[in-house]
Amino acid sequence: MASAAHNTSEDGIVVLHCPPELAKIPLVNHNRSLNWITENVASICEEKTRRYWWIAFFLFSPIALFVPTLLAYQVGNGVGVWGENQPFGWAWDITNFVFWIGIGHAGTLISAILFLTRQKWRTSINRAAEAMTLFAVMCAGLYPGFHVGRFWKAWYLFPIPNWNALWQNYRSPLLWDVFAVSTYFTVSVLFWYVGLIPDLATLRDRAKSKIKQFAYGIGALGWRGGNRHWQHYEMAYLILAGLSTPLVLSVHSIVSFDFATSIVPGWHTTIFPPYFVAGAIFGGFAMVLTLMLPARLFYPQLDDMITRNHVDKMAKIILLTGTIVGYAYLMELFVGLVYSGNFYESNAFLNRATGWYHWHYYAMMFCNVISPQIFWFKRMRHNYIVVFIICQFVNAGMWFERFVIIGTTLAQDFLPSSWGHYTPSWVEVFTFIGTFGMFISLFLLFMRFLPMITIFEVKAVKPEADPHFHPDGDHSHDSHATATPKGAAAH
Amino acid sequence: MSKRVFEHPQEEVNGPQYWRSFGQLAQTPEFKEWQAREFQTGASELNPEVGRRGFMKYMAASAALAGLSLSACRREEKTLVPFAQSVEWSVPGKPIFYATSRPHRRGAIPLVATTHDGRPTKVDGNPGHPTNKGATDTQSQASLLDVYDPDRSRRFQLAGKESSEAEFTKWLAGALEKAGDGQGVAFLTEHFTSPTYARLKKAVAAKLPKAMWVTYEPLGGSEASDAHAAAFGADFRTVPQLDKADVILSLDCDFVGFDEGRLEGIRAFSARRKPEQKMNRLYVVENRYTTTGGMADHRLRSQAGKIGAVARAFAEKIAAATGDAGLQSVVDSFPKVSSPEKSAKWIDEATKDLVAQKGKALVLVGYRQPAAVQALGHAMNAALGAIGETVIGRKTHGHGGGNSLKELAVALGLENAEQKKARVEKLTAENAVRKSKHEPELPIAAHGDSSIKTLFILGGNPAYNAPAELKFGELLAGTDVVRHGSYEDETTYSVETDKDGKVTKRIFVKWHVPAAHYLEAWGDGTASDGSHVSQQPMILPLFGGWSEIQLLDFILTGKKSEGLELVQETFKEVARGIDAVSWAKFLHDGFLPAAAPREPIAFNPVTAKEIAAKYVAPAEGMEVVFAPCAKVDDGRFSNNAWIQELPDPITKITWDNAAIISPATAQKLGLGAKKEDGLFDFENGAWLAIEANGAQLEIPVAIIPGTADDSITIAVGYGRTHEGRVGGREGNYMSHGGLFAVKGQVGFNVYPLRTAANHYFATASVKKSNRAAYQLAVTQEHGALEGRGPDVLRQGTKELFDRVPDFAKFVEGMDEYAEERDKQKYPVSRSAYTHPTLNDANHQWGMAIDLSMCTGCSACMIACQSENNIPVVGKEQVIEGRELHWIRMDRYFTSYQSEVRDDENSDKLTTDDFNSREKRIDINEARMVMQPMPCQHCENAPCETVCPVNATVHSDDGINVMAYNRCIGTRYCANNCPFKVRRFNFFDFNERQKDKYFRQNLINEKGMAETLKLSKNPNVTVRMRGVMEKCTFCVQRVQEAKIAAKVKAKDSSNVKVPTDAFKVACQQVCPSEAIVFGNLNDPDSAIVKVKKSERDYRVFDYLGIKPRVSYLARVTNPNPNMPDAPKHVPTQGNDNNDGQREKWKKQQLANAEGGKH
Repeated sequence: MASAAHNTSEDGIVVLHCPPELAKIPLVNHNRSLNWITENVASICEEKTRRYWWIAFFLFSPIALFVPTLLAYQVGNGVGVWGENQPFGWAWDITNFVFWIGIGHAGTLISAILFLTRQKWRTSINRAAEAMTLFAVMCAGLYPGFHVGRFWKAWYLFPIPNWNALWQNYRSPLLWDVFAVSTYFTVSVLFWYVGLIPDLATLRDRAKSKIKQFAYGIGALGWRGGNRHWQHYEMAYLILAGLSTPLVLSVHSIVSFDFATSIVPGWHTTIFPPYFVAGAIFGGFAMVLTLMLPARLFYPQLDDMITRNHVDKMAKIILLTGTIVGYAYLMELFVGLVYSGNFYESNAFLNRATGWYHWHYYAMMFCNVISPQIFWFKRMRHNYIVVFIICQFVNAGMWFERFVIIGTTLAQDFLPSSWGHYTPSWVEVFTFIGTFGMFISLFLLFMRFLPMITIFEVKAVKPEADPHFHPDGDHSHDSHATATPKGAAAH
Repeated sequence: MSKRVFEHPQEEVNGPQYWRSFGQLAQTPEFKEWQAREFQTGASELNPEVGRRGFMKYMAASAALAGLSLSACRREEKTLVPFAQSVEWSVPGKPIFYATSRPHRRGAIPLVATTHDGRPTKVDGNPGHPTNKGATDTQSQASLLDVYDPDRSRRFQLAGKESSEAEFTKWLAGALEKAGDGQGVAFLTEHFTSPTYARLKKAVAAKLPKAMWVTYEPLGGSEASDAHAAAFGADFRTVPQLDKADVILSLDCDFVGFDEGRLEGIRAFSARRKPEQKMNRLYVVENRYTTTGGMADHRLRSQAGKIGAVARAFAEKIAAATGDAGLQSVVDSFPKVSSPEKSAKWIDEATKDLVAQKGKALVLVGYRQPAAVQALGHAMNAALGAIGETVIGRKTHGHGGGNSLKELAVALGLENAEQKKARVEKLTAENAVRKSKHEPELPIAAHGDSSIKTLFILGGNPAYNAPAELKFGELLAGTDVVRHGSYEDETTYSVETDKDGKVTKRIFVKWHVPAAHYLEAWGDGTASDGSHVSQQPMILPLFGGWSEIQLLDFILTGKKSEGLELVQETFKEVARGIDAVSWAKFLHDGFLPAAAPREPIAFNPVTAKEIAAKYVAPAEGMEVVFAPCAKVDDGRFSNNAWIQELPDPITKITWDNAAIISPATAQKLGLGAKKEDGLFDFENGAWLAIEANGAQLEIPVAIIPGTADDSITIAVGYGRTHEGRVGGREGNYMSHGGLFAVKGQVGFNVYPLRTAANHYFATASVKKSNRAAYQLAVTQEHGALEGRGPDVLRQGTKELFDRVPDFAKFVEGMDEYAEERDKQKYPVSRSAYTHPTLNDANHQWGMAIDLSMCTGCSACMIACQSENNIPVVGKEQVIEGRELHWIRMDRYFTSYQSEVRDDENSDKLTTDDFNSREKRIDINEARMVMQPMPCQHCENAPCETVCPVNATVHSDDGINVMAYNRCIGTRYCANNCPFKVRRFNFFDFNERQKDKYFRQNLINEKGMAETLKLSKNPNVTVRMRGVMEKCTFCVQRVQEAKIAAKVKAKDSSNVKVPTDAFKVACQQVCPSEAIVFGNLNDPDSAIVKVKKSERDYRVFDYLGIKPRVSYLARVTNPNPNMPDAPKHVPTQGNDNNDGQREKWKKQQLANAEGGKH
């Protein structure tokens, strides 16, 4: 072992080396220089728009237009243009709401919780993940707003002082949702934006056109990279991370209260909050990968920053949370079916598995519980195509999970006389498709105009950013500046 | 909307005359012209001297000005016009009640109409009248909507062209002059019970002695009157006294549903269904489920054609047991037909029960059955000592008499095949001669020459519903027909269509006279108990219609009368004199009691024997039964949207009729029946092709358990080709999204299969039709209780009730489990919230519904709709599951344990039993139970906690209230309601025009017909789209009573509403008095007494929601000796009960029984 661990350099100095299997996997491949990082990230915003960006944008932005068009149609006509009925007070609307809100979890989780736990690999993906969060929450936020019967009265949901002294019902989880989602969105925007400031300043400084200088300059809030700026920035970011962390857990817990606090068998379960949060992280990471893997394809320079290692880690999280979700499904089934001793509970779960919508249940089980198990194999985690496919399973599975919770429960609850069926109308199908268009279009705009990767943070996780960093056999000050250590090549 | 003119009621004829203007007094030509002119004198009219140039100048200038001021973009201006002069007795906001009555062929139904500002908004039973005591039926409730139906005929029509009353009267006067002694004049009328009508008819008949008079009712009971005449004499009919009968055998008699007795019968019958008192026992033999069959203790499925055989088997056994010679002689003369062998024991035991209760037994035979079978029924009643006890006699309402419809048809030119052949041959020969002479040939008509010159059709719709073989509609072409009717329908004109259904030709009758609705005209009637009832107008005829007595009087006098003096004239005769007091009392009370409510009758076996001998047994095989519809009657209510949207009490189908068949028949015909894993899958909507009496009909099926095998039941009254926008309209008028089989037609017309001889059932050949499944709008998809019986619908037998009166409290449902846990001090299922204290110490409202008495007739649903301005949603939206009825009538099929089949390999069709998933029952024999489900007004309401905006809250007097203005429509409350009784306005159903059945958007023109706006109850908000609505316990009535109490209390503190001072709409209408509502904080109120019942239970009490509506467990009174009697108590429960609970329950039962278990 010792012979493997110790090398003698050319000038006879003994250098300590870990065995390769124990060596730290570098977070930036090819030992790219700090300048290289700046150049390659900033260039995405600066270069001439690539043709495939335009193709993607012209593909998805018309789809995004479904959303305003169909929502206007729905508000103009009535909620009846959707397929809901008695007993389906909710169906695709709240399913999609929970689906998007769930996706919105990964970003803030990556930024806040991984930040607090000093997981350095987050740096190359957190910006994009946070942006994804914001766009997902935007898509999600549409639904509770527009699913109501009288959209023009939706402002009743906000505590606005009024002459009648009419206030909201603070016992209603739907109201908690309003607060939870709006707080989450606000804090997520702030968090994302604060993290953007130094990079906006970089873009401002590099910008050649007046307009860009002005636009990025406004966004950069006069950032000059001074010591004091960095000090304040670090503190603000830490505080926001601290604020966001409980929010990541609370939002989906509160969304789950919409169901958990009701008395409907199949909804009325205490397992929902942790199970929803785990599911949200699960689905969120799948969506991060869904976006980042094609982004790497678009911009090959990102390969060195979003590495196989990153994908591997995210796949592991998917495996972990998928297993948690699977455990929750089985526990829920066990409690409902067997342990509760409650006829209606057991029937609710029996109906999920054997009732009219049973194929949704099996689709959910397959996509969410079985398919991620393939990530036990490293080779699979490292195969981008497999990872991408599994992520699509997870995305679909998480949608099915929400429909199973909402749809199958409402289809067959207490009184058999009022059991009913539900078919989505074309309006809600295309509205949902539209939200994907909106989501992807926004993400494309983000990719085009803002640095997709946190430039300064990626630099900070490079080995040479460490104040104690000593490149092998080179103690000259120059080496710090040029940052091209000789023996640190990873391969 | 036509202009409403509020006029004081006509003063008495003898009194002083009042006038409003000198012009009116004088009836001067100027005044008449002033009335007729569209624009008043002096209003600017187009000057003929303005030339083209001048016109263009003016138009250009106005267009420019209009453009400048954007005046075209203004919103439509609407103004409210108040009464210019207040009406003396009208207090704004206060309704006025008038006693009136609805004409009905089986006796007028006494009513009280509620009017707001001179427009009727609700009708209810006359609480003072002995027949209904305030209750009403579905159709009376719905008849209100007909007043405002914009499709009612609005004009006098001469051969399809709009004419006027003046022209009609002119023509009529001329025609009558020519009529002379009435030769060539015929009258075809509905069966009116009005004494004024009878009086005028007699006078007209005296004036036109040779005129032909025909009374025709498609669902009339000529068989019944024949049987009555044979058994008791021509003037009498029998009326069952259901409150006196201990044992009732109903042979296809739907006495709680649609047959003789109606409201009187339901009340009397259900009074004896309370297990606390001596219960009656009901045996029913019928071919399909009716509400009567649902109430039965024992029910035998039998083809309608086999009822005769069953009746004979009964009669034979009763004759043997009683030794009654009269019955024996009738039985002997009745041709020998054998009843099915498997029902022998059933008949045996039922006979024993009937005979044992001699004097208190009653046999009822459906009035549509052949007269011979009914004669058997009368004979059985005589043998059982029922005559004078459980059956009394009454004078008939004078059933028409006169000529038969067939005679009229012959007079109109109906020929038999030979005659037709002879005529055609003769004409052909003549034409051949003419041809040779080059003369124009004579047309060969489809039917012979009519000897009738003028035919008056008063009411009815014979072209649509006359027996098929008469081809009545075609016969009208050769005659001057004066058609008096409410709709311009099949009788007013017939249409010819091309193969695409496009109308190519319309053939109109000579005159169409719009008929006045009964709420628009003076009249009277005879109630089913023989009392003389008044019929007062609530509003002037909206569309200028005439009543039939006005028309008859015009024929007599040549003048149009108001109708009032005609009724007064009759009243003078009936009441033997008239004075202001007795007339006012008659109008106020609404009726004059019958002089002799019962007549002594005696059974005459000799004549009965003769009629019994005429029985002809129908052929074996598949039969088709033409059933009266519980909703549209014979079709007269088919343009009533409330009626169309009301789910059928049995099938739960809206907006259609269907062929009702049993699961076994469905399997036999190879349609819709699938058996998977022992579960039976209902697949309604598959098509059958039925051929009967030489006519064919394709119709989708509804598979209903409890239907007799090889029997197809189809309700009459559907498939109208043209009537109105609801019931059916020619061409492509109605936008139901193409959901009807034939564009613009609701349901399927079965009348073409129905002949005079086979007016009730006919043998038919049936085969499956390979069309794509038809979409029926069914409001309840799932009919099994799925093991939820113990919580939802508790039932037991009288025997169990006597042993364990509070058995309902010991069923093995979740409630019992919760109670048990409570005893063990486990805090289960109790709310985390302390619900707010209900501060009103005086009033706490509550409701109880007795499931033993509820027949499921669904009148409450329409009463609620009428009272609470609930819009209809249309067929498409019902299919979507968006019906808005605030009270839902749940219908379940269940079974006793004894019927559970243990042999799983049985090839019988089985379904989920309500007791257990494991056990199987024969669903062909399933029993039917009903449960009305309004909002339960939970004290700890799950809907209230989840509403984010506080739109649904609890009132201090214990009502779960909705603030529509606050509601934003999240629908969370509906999701969290365990009863699913909340209803959401998915579209602006109120702002939708009548011919647009769904979706309105911001761009389209909106709005309902002007007349329909008048039908709304002003005390109830008309909800917009996007809000949740539900039963409010008729909060408007509650508030009205509370305000009245406060006004009365003045300064004193006694603001308590007097005991049971008012009723809610569903309670008020309920003919069986199953619904009780009242103040729980008033110890004297009926509700407190009912809630103390041992049968009282609350649905899903285990959830801790404390519903304010409770149910009284359903108790039946089966005969233990019967083959279909339950062998033991239905031990209801679910599969995952543990031993502990079983033990506990047994212990409880043992305690209750004193260790007898």
